[in-house]
Amino acid sequence: MIWQQFANGLAIGSVYALIALGLTMVYGVLRILHIAHAGVYALGAYVGLLVFRFIPNFWLALAITMVASSFAGIILQRYLYAPLLALPRIVPLIASIGLFIAMEEIFRLIAGPYILAFPADPGLGGIEWGIVRITNNQFLVFLVTVSLLATLWFVMSKTKLGLAMKATSQDLEIASVMGINTERIIATNFLIGSALAGAAGVLVGVYFNSVYPTMGSIPAYKALAIIVLGGLGSIPGTVLGGLLIGLGETLLLGLINIPFPRDALAFIIMIIILMFRPYGLLGKE
Amino acid sequence: MAFLEVRCLTKEFYGLRALDRVDFSVEERKILGIIGPNGAGKTTLFNIISGILRPTAGEIQFQGARINHLKPHQIAMAGIARTFQIVRPFGNFTVLKNVLVGFGHRFYPGLFSSAYRFEKETHLERAREILARVGMETYQGSIAKNLPLGLKKHLEIARALALDPSLLLLDEPMAGLQYEEFEKLAGLIRGLREEGITIVLIEHNMQVVMDLCERIVVLDHGVKIAEGSPEEVRTDPQVIEAYIGQEETVA
Repeated sequence: MIWQQFANGLAIGSVYALIALGLTMVYGVLRILHIAHAGVYALGAYVGLLVFRFIPNFWLALAITMVASSFAGIILQRYLYAPLLALPRIVPLIASIGLFIAMEEIFRLIAGPYILAFPADPGLGGIEWGIVRITNNQFLVFLVTVSLLATLWFVMSKTKLGLAMKATSQDLEIASVMGINTERIIATNFLIGSALAGAAGVLVGVYFNSVYPTMGSIPAYKALAIIVLGGLGSIPGTVLGGLLIGLGETLLLGLINIPFPRDALAFIIMIIILMFRPYGLLGKE
Repeated sequence: MAFLEVRCLTKEFYGLRALDRVDFSVEERKILGIIGPNGAGKTTLFNIISGILRPTAGEIQFQGARINHLKPHQIAMAGIARTFQIVRPFGNFTVLKNVLVGFGHRFYPGLFSSAYRFEKETHLERAREILARVGMETYQGSIAKNLPLGLKKHLEIARALALDPSLLLLDEPMAGLQYEEFEKLAGLIRGLREEGITIVLIEHNMQVVMDLCERIVVLDHGVKIAEGSPEEVRTDPQVIEAYIGQEETVA
């Protein structure tokens, strides 16, 4: 039973990590909180479902969604954030919240206020190890998130692009003086982050077999708790924070059967960690 | 044709003139000094040449081409590197990685090359050579933010050299250094000039400027008040006037 919950928690936690990564990457280069990122996540779920209804192939839907949501991210960066960057940081934050609400309303207008089913079968099958049974969908979530995170890790730590991205997030001005096209690096951060969020949207849509207009609301603030918990701007910290919150929610609330508001746990963990580590788990001053 | 030519450069911040119609030029393989009291506009001038700020009016020509509309990374690629008065290494990187970032212009030219690995032996070797050039080869594994100021200053120069620049802008490289380190750094700067790098140097320490530079431009309140050889500048009444009451005195 506990291992079953553990598998559940890891699946949910790794999806949290996928969503929060884009937020942390954007914060890393622009120092703004990109609330509308959760809108990109919901958009991903809808795009995936739309593609799936035409061609019922999960992997194709996932791929097209990631391309579409990365475009969405770049458009947001270009037309929403770029013009507002010279203004005080509160301005892009408010614009971002406004855009997020607008996106939810647009989903409602186009797709209706219903919960839509996303009955995709990736054709993986489940696994059973003794008492632990990993369901088809859990296995799918693991497979996709682990391969995306591994790719991201490789890009960030081994490639020239990753070096340029890290340098830009440490000091944008110096990076540009060192010959790095920082505008392109900022766009790349939005591109990668939004592709991951779109993938997370598809995964959650399939995992819970439901897609609805406000599905981004809870992830929007939970992702904030996760990136603060992990250390603002830290990619490994965000992954750690996501897994911690996912595991915490399922283990604590699944095992101790108390009527506890599940979605508040992220913030409680965040507050406790910040009391001891003010810069988050892996954050730097 | 001058190597770097600054013509009628003006920069206004909210109606205040930080630079007022500044003209000067630098010949290839020379060291030009820029001096002036605090707030004279020296760092603003560097920020404009390196593309971080846009001039309000005026023009900058580098090797005969106008550069004042270019972005910082394009200017870096054209061969202009700079250091900052307040050292700003990539603090969380090792010394070696700081230099590797400086290889930027050869590293990120196209979309596909950015997927290559950066820790290639040829890159690492060149980075170590540059570190040896500034006497920091033993510090390559150190985390940059933990270095003492003197070494951070040298790292700042090493990182700029990684761009393989033909023009190097040094913003107060001696500030905060021990007296014994002056001569070493001055030797390095002379050596770079011998290798064919043109240098523009902002410096507060008069002795250093007088020793190193062939020509000196004096700014005061954004206006160029004098230009000439160290001897001419030293005896210029306007320069003496500008420095009266300042902490520096003309030697």
